[in-house]
Amino acid sequence: MSENLIEVKNLRIAFPTEAGGWHQAVRGVSFTLGREKLGIVGESGSGKSLSGRAILGVLPDYVRIEADKLAFDGIDLRAASPRQRRHLRGGRMGMVLQDPKFSLNPVMTAGAQIVEAIRIGDRRISRAAARKGALDILHSLHIRDPELVFDRYPHELSGGMGQRVMIGMMVVREPDVLIADEPTSALDVTVQMQVLSILDELVERRKMGLIFISHDLQLVSRFCDRVIVMYAGQIVETLDARRLGEAQHPYTKGLLACLPEIDGPLTPLPTLDRQAAWSQLP
Amino acid sequence: MSTMPTHTIARAQVRAAQFKQIKSFCRRFARNPSGMFGFFILVALLFCAAFAPWLATHDPYLPNLSGRLSAPGADYWLGADELGRDIYSRVLYGSRLTLLIVGLVIVTSAPIGLLVGVIAGNFGGWVDTIFMRVTDVFLAVPKLLLALAFVAALGPGIVNAAIAITLTAWPPYARMARAEALAVRNSDYVNAVRLAGASEFHIIVQHIIPMCISSVIVRMTLDMAGIILTAAGLGFIGLGAQPPLPEWGAMISTGRKFIFDQWWVATVPGFAIFIVSLGFNLLGDAIRDLLDPHLKARP
Amino acid sequence: MTDTILGVEHLSVRFGASTVVDDVSFAVARGESFGLVGESGSGKSTILRTIMGLSPDWSGTIAVNGVPARGTPRREFSTQVQMVFQDPYASLHPRHLIGNAIAEPMRIHRMDNVEARTLELLALIGLGEDFAYRYPHELSGGQRQRVAIARALALSPKLLLLDEPTSALDVSIQAEILNLLNRLRAEMGLTFVIVSHNLAVISYCCDRLMLMQNARHVETLSRAQLRNRELDQDYTKAFVAASTL
Repeated sequence: MSENLIEVKNLRIAFPTEAGGWHQAVRGVSFTLGREKLGIVGESGSGKSLSGRAILGVLPDYVRIEADKLAFDGIDLRAASPRQRRHLRGGRMGMVLQDPKFSLNPVMTAGAQIVEAIRIGDRRISRAAARKGALDILHSLHIRDPELVFDRYPHELSGGMGQRVMIGMMVVREPDVLIADEPTSALDVTVQMQVLSILDELVERRKMGLIFISHDLQLVSRFCDRVIVMYAGQIVETLDARRLGEAQHPYTKGLLACLPEIDGPLTPLPTLDRQAAWSQLP
Repeated sequence: MSTMPTHTIARAQVRAAQFKQIKSFCRRFARNPSGMFGFFILVALLFCAAFAPWLATHDPYLPNLSGRLSAPGADYWLGADELGRDIYSRVLYGSRLTLLIVGLVIVTSAPIGLLVGVIAGNFGGWVDTIFMRVTDVFLAVPKLLLALAFVAALGPGIVNAAIAITLTAWPPYARMARAEALAVRNSDYVNAVRLAGASEFHIIVQHIIPMCISSVIVRMTLDMAGIILTAAGLGFIGLGAQPPLPEWGAMISTGRKFIFDQWWVATVPGFAIFIVSLGFNLLGDAIRDLLDPHLKARP
Repeated sequence: MTDTILGVEHLSVRFGASTVVDDVSFAVARGESFGLVGESGSGKSTILRTIMGLSPDWSGTIAVNGVPARGTPRREFSTQVQMVFQDPYASLHPRHLIGNAIAEPMRIHRMDNVEARTLELLALIGLGEDFAYRYPHELSGGQRQRVAIARALALSPKLLLLDEPTSALDVSIQAEILNLLNRLRAEMGLTFVIVSHNLAVISYCCDRLMLMQNARHVETLSRAQLRNRELDQDYTKAFVAASTL
């Protein structure tokens, strides 16, 4: 990839522990993101979400973040002021979270939240124009009746619809990078595919970079170009999404094997035999 | 089936596990400097109350008219009041009264409020309605006014002041306990024991009250400062401890007359109230940071 | 009809004005594993909670082992059927030791040898004896779910209701829990009713399954019918298609 939107080198994230020490949750993660779809897969506690949040700069301030390089489009994020980072977050980077129930403001209508997102970026846009922009976005998210959804409160929307509104809020400012943290895990299977295809369409059309964080290796490999597999705060393997079957690391293989399948055998599922060596620093 | 284990759950091991919890709490508490400061004040207060006879330089009740309103000095460390009684000794003995009132109010109001709230929250329906409307009635009356009316009816005195403060102090506990109980009673872990056939009494005692205790403790420590101030207020207007008892509020009240010329008479007990309230507030804040389930920001 | 352990007939459940389960009937045979599948809001979890007596407003009949759910004291009913909840982080009391959590149902029923049996149950679910002296926050999600299963088995019920038992867990842990459940069912002759939104889990664990949508029954299938795609309803076809992508 010639143009790197995001460049992360040796990212380390640590939490203070009860005993007064530090717990290293992310231990030396490096990757780059171009205008592509990059999946980050791992189990809970693997540090995948933390890495995404560190890029956005939305981790609590008691967390210690260190990196040799943490850059967005040539801007050094470590040196950026809070104001500058906020500016980036609002305009050029966006984040879609797992559950729209918790990430949308419950006392504002869906439309008002998109309008707000538009007008925070540029105060000169009139309310009417912003409203039109919001309706256009909702329309582009394959919502049949945008006017109806516009005036609804989050609790009146289904999970899939809420997630579309959330995506709408994030893409309305045309960010260069979208970080989606388990964007479909809270959704039903039949809705999951719709939301994914909407996301796919947006990324393709606007030539965005997408980081798709998920625990579901199968899903990520179907959707992304490249997949990073994380374990215990480290990257164990980076794969071409189409060549999942050629995974080398026993952890990746184990993750693939332990899933039950609708037409799979009924013999006991293979379980992961976690090796201490996987979590040792190289 | 697997082989029968040879030994059973050992009490000692259960105690060890519980002890570990307490130790972890203490360790985290020790890392909070302002909490430690508050704790230190509380310990100092307890120490003063326990050893007042040994720490005092004079009899707190014995007037000495020749030493009336003496300024702080070698003889009277913190001065003497209008009857020539040593203020330092009186403040020391006053800490006993303060602790007595705080203790009386806390051991009565917190359990009453906790029980009312937990029962209302767990059972719901008309029980909830009756209990909470009664609570609302108590909350609707201004605190000091209710205490005043009560003391006026029963006559002034330390115990009556404590009862009066209790009357006004329990409703917030009931509110809080009810809110906790409402959240806990439909949680999966309570449902699980309910499904095992547990009685509602068992659920309340074993499951709901333990979840309310931490909020109650937090509220209690934060409340103590308020109780001290209310008790001092009642003493100040002459409805709390009666002379010659060295109650801090009453001491300020008598010192008021000399505030411009003999400032120490009112200032020293006032300072004592200030220090002790501050201590309880700092302690309460620290405990809240550690215990409050709604503030679990850190892992 | 074969030996029925759970019979549900014309079950309707209402929450206030809305009907969340609408006239659903099914029967589960002794020793079988029965799956309830559907999207969120389809009413599948509500059915389990209603069987356990956690829904206030319902009509129809429910019988476990011939014992009617309505009118039977919970203490008596609790030895017939137990439930495992979805979220292992919410189903254990945060201030109770694991050993006490498992022992509690047996203490409530004043059983003998409670402590020995607690350790036996811990061994059965593959956790060491020292777990009895730990608090839930010291355990991982998978370990907590094992404890919840042990607690449900403490009263030796023959029927176990599992509400999304693995959906809050990582896939590798899910495999361990599913293997454990299958082993327990075989060893102890249990009957399972498993609620899940994950068709793969249901196909792996259940002999028969019932698909629900919007509070209603859509289709009941055997595992063979599902695997041969002998599907009648359009919704079933769409659901299976979305799940196999």
